[in-house]
Amino acid sequence: MERHDTVQLETQCRPLPRIARLPFSIVLVLPAQLIMLLVVVVPTLIVVWLSLTDWQPTDNIPWFKAEFSWFWNFYDLLPDERFVGAVLRTLFVVALCVSTELVLAVALALLFLDEWPWRKVAVSVIILPMMVVPVDAANAFFMLFNDHGPINQLLSLVLDRPVEYAWLADPHWALLPIIFAEVWQWTPLMFLLVLTAFLNVPRNQWRAALGLGATPAQAFFRVVLPLSLPVMLVAVLIRAIETFKIFDVIYILTRGGPGATTESISMYMYNGAFVYFRMGYVAAAALLVLFVVVSVCLALFKPLQKHYE
Amino acid sequence: MQNDDEAQKAIDRRSFLKSAAVGTVAFAAGTSLLSWARPAKAAGSLANVQSDAARAAKELAGGRVVTLRILEPSGSLGNIKPVADRWTADTGIKVEYIEVPLGEINQKVLLEAVSKAGSFDIALPASFGIPDLAESGILVDLDQLASKYEPEGYQDSIIYKTANYYKGDFYGYETDGDAYVMFYRKDWINDPEEQKRYADRYGIPLKVPDTWEELDQQLAFFHRPESGRYGVALFRSQYFIAWEWWVRFHAKGFFPFTDDLVPQINNDAGVKALEELAAASKYLYPGARSNGLFENFEAYGKGDSYANIGWGGTQKYLNGDKSGVKGKLTYGPTPGGKVNGALVRTPYFNWGWNYVVSSLSKEQEIAYLFTLYAVSPTLSTIAVRDPGGYFDPFRDEHYKDPEIIKLYSKEFLDVHEASMRGSIPDLYLKGQGEYFDVLRVNVQAADVGQKAPKQALDDTAREWDRISRRIGRKGQTVQWRFLKSLYPEAARSHLV
Repeated sequence: MERHDTVQLETQCRPLPRIARLPFSIVLVLPAQLIMLLVVVVPTLIVVWLSLTDWQPTDNIPWFKAEFSWFWNFYDLLPDERFVGAVLRTLFVVALCVSTELVLAVALALLFLDEWPWRKVAVSVIILPMMVVPVDAANAFFMLFNDHGPINQLLSLVLDRPVEYAWLADPHWALLPIIFAEVWQWTPLMFLLVLTAFLNVPRNQWRAALGLGATPAQAFFRVVLPLSLPVMLVAVLIRAIETFKIFDVIYILTRGGPGATTESISMYMYNGAFVYFRMGYVAAAALLVLFVVVSVCLALFKPLQKHYE
Repeated sequence: MQNDDEAQKAIDRRSFLKSAAVGTVAFAAGTSLLSWARPAKAAGSLANVQSDAARAAKELAGGRVVTLRILEPSGSLGNIKPVADRWTADTGIKVEYIEVPLGEINQKVLLEAVSKAGSFDIALPASFGIPDLAESGILVDLDQLASKYEPEGYQDSIIYKTANYYKGDFYGYETDGDAYVMFYRKDWINDPEEQKRYADRYGIPLKVPDTWEELDQQLAFFHRPESGRYGVALFRSQYFIAWEWWVRFHAKGFFPFTDDLVPQINNDAGVKALEELAAASKYLYPGARSNGLFENFEAYGKGDSYANIGWGGTQKYLNGDKSGVKGKLTYGPTPGGKVNGALVRTPYFNWGWNYVVSSLSKEQEIAYLFTLYAVSPTLSTIAVRDPGGYFDPFRDEHYKDPEIIKLYSKEFLDVHEASMRGSIPDLYLKGQGEYFDVLRVNVQAADVGQKAPKQALDDTAREWDRISRRIGRKGQTVQWRFLKSLYPEAARSHLV
């Protein structure tokens, strides 16, 4: 018998290991997926466990030996005014920031649809805020909105009287600098995504609409916007999720104060975990917040699903 | 000022158990615990403590390459490095510094209890965090090591020792004299025209105020924003605001809790204290609400505010060359209050840093010896002398050192020493961070008009009750009663 016939016979008789039978594409991504599973799923399970205990590091017992307290943390959270206030406040900031960013991004994108001199340079300048480290951006806004800062100086010039308003210490207005900082820094990201969406709309459809007598506004709202909707929805979703986690701007500008008037859910959980060390309670808060965020995301996904149906 | 060192000495386990004895059963339990044999005191003398500590550390290192890692708050390197360099020269043991932001060091130490990373041997947490850190198990109970190495009388000249102990166990040496002190513009007080105007308006002489009411009156008097002059540079940012309320409240004659741990902070005195704090905010310089610690130094150093509140570190800056008020200040303890006709002062030790040893350290004994070395009379004097750091005088010896006197001024040190000796302790209970965070948020909410003072304090008291219940009312009550006994006699006898 020839050698190759022997090898062929042996191969036919010995079954391949399971991993070797997997498609090669799956084998390539498997290690990364397993690591992701470890990094995401295991901590999530730990958070779920902690949410059902009242564990604190100051109890001097390992977290896995914490006393089981059922759903008492969730029960205590719902009437917790500070928690509910933080969630509602964060949702308000998300809604205001994302909608403002979207409007500004659309307006900017329309300006950059056509070629004009220095367009590329202008795009680079517009996206600069995104490159700044969020903490540095927050520090800049801290100085801007200081009692003797440029904002008050500008207002003094305009109103022709000295203005030394304590923006960051006013419970009614302290959110404004935070929203300004957030919108200033992340509108460029929205702008890039929206511009990409607009540039990918087939030009002939747009020209056809104009040729058939539509006004530019009608062409935009009836042709460009519907075709750009999926990308814009993704941009809104990304920004909504990112804004929901807002922390550094608030930490630098107000630390959640005055009182708790600018405390976002991230600040609340930071205080709960690292000032109070109530890890179990904060874990329950984190799960409730996750539920809220997932619900918001699913709500945002609905139009996308309709678009693809 | 009456010397309250007696209270400071009586905070070891024996006195903790004695004051924790509630009822005959508890007392019996405490008495039986007292029968534990305590190790004998170390044989060395106080005069040789640093050389003895260095020699012992060198022997323990035994020719190995040992490096001690110190977790230190940002800005303290100026105080630690000169001492650590001498340590390395004396022992051959190197020191590595891990710097963390000032306001986050306690969190970092507590996270170590969770992560068990063993990333430092020694830490310098803020003193008010000692209870939580001790409860977490991250701190080594240093009683045994102190019995072995600490010579007789070592802690006698440390003026404020309350934070060194928790539930009677010793956890680390205080290394900073952070008693709250008031600063006033001497030239404004001594101005004959101002004196006449003040006397005409209020019928009393213009002087360093004795009471908070008098201070508030002076703030209103000196507040002339149209002339670029402001009443005060008090702290109004969230990290610091509650401390002022704490002193104002105590000065009205009340402890924050009853003996059964029922909060008293929302009584009439508490509400009045908060109303007065909010009213004083009218006299702040612009920007005070947003400013933190170092911004406060600079702002007051510009010279357009009458009064300020702070610590020795504040004076280090204000008496320095960058200050616009050097030589123009006078000082006073935090004002008191009239309680049943008597002037009651309640100076407040509200910060401080303690050298502690990590329970995860592989060199606990050497680490302890470093702290013994660093807080010794000679080396601690060197540490405090450094103008680049913020450790303030905390031993008797410091107040006699010519360089320290030059750095701070004799007038300031006299007031500082008196404040240290008469200081009421901070709220050294488990969950201190939680109690104070709730207080902070509500005090600030009242200050900016978001909540009525009564509502703010009612909310705080309700939350404090919840915290106490969750942590364990019994244990908290025991520790609170012990803490009450550590209040200086001059204050304690007037507070209810």
